[in-house]
Amino acid sequence: MPLDIWQEQLRRGGLDLAILLTVSAGPRYGLAIIQHLEAFTDLVVTEGTIYPILGRLTREGLLDAKWVDDEAPHPRKYYSLTRLGQKRLADMKAEWRAFVEKIGRLMSAAEGVTP
Amino acid sequence: MTLTSTGESRVHGYLFVLERSLNTFLPRDTVHDAVREIASHLRERIAATAPAPDERTALERILNELGPPLRVAQAYSAERTIDEAVATGRFVAIVRAVWHAAATTVTGFFIGLVIFVGYVAALGFIIVAILKPIFPANVGFVFVHGMPVGLGAHFPMSPDVDLRGGYWIIPVALAFGMGIFIGTHRGARRYLAWWRSRLKPAL
Repeated sequence: MPLDIWQEQLRRGGLDLAILLTVSAGPRYGLAIIQHLEAFTDLVVTEGTIYPILGRLTREGLLDAKWVDDEAPHPRKYYSLTRLGQKRLADMKAEWRAFVEKIGRLMSAAEGVTP
Repeated sequence: MTLTSTGESRVHGYLFVLERSLNTFLPRDTVHDAVREIASHLRERIAATAPAPDERTALERILNELGPPLRVAQAYSAERTIDEAVATGRFVAIVRAVWHAAATTVTGFFIGLVIFVGYVAALGFIIVAILKPIFPANVGFVFVHGMPVGLGAHFPMSPDVDLRGGYWIIPVALAFGMGIFIGTHRGARRYLAWWRSRLKPAL
């Protein structure tokens, strides 16, 4: 598998977690989520492709979406974590930490470093 | 910045193309909501952007960062149509996703054609199995002038056609039909999973 495809799969795998983390602090609308992700990561390559992912996470019941019409000159769609989303986020964080630790151990072993 | 009528036309054009692209594979209410959200994103970006060095350049930068409307539509497709097909494996979802792939790429068209032939062949065998007990004299292995040409049904029978095979055709046709159907379905699902992983530009 070419490196760029592998990187893409890694990025795709991490993007759901990154979005859930972004809205875990409180409701955010699409552009605010994108700006937060851009401030901390390089996961967003094309801004417009974040919205379909937000839609899928909403369909899966992990996010709740609500239009707010009177906050700005144009309506904003706010996303917040549902109870299911909070549980999924906790599970994903634990999985991610365990995964990073395992790969870290493997890398240390391969490089001859005692953890 | 506040857009001039030219800038407004450019934004409306972008949203029009996006809506047309989404309409091909998403329900109408989902399309309306998606376009409204992308429009909100654009308005937000435009309001926060200075018209530097000129409105056209600033607007094109915003639209480039958002991505071409076809790419955004393709991402919706990947998230909705293809994900649903790969995740659930439901027949309708698979057919819809294969149809979308066939309408999007040349490779997708030819693979879609093979998948279509697979499903039709499976259906043909199953129909033969269903028809055999109803029309035993019209269903069987078809021989024309003594040469075998296939398995099927003939209505009405022609003097040149000789149908052979007893009721054992039923389990054989069913087995072939189900086997081809399962093989085609699994193949289609694997193809969609592969295609989804190749949709790098979309995400």
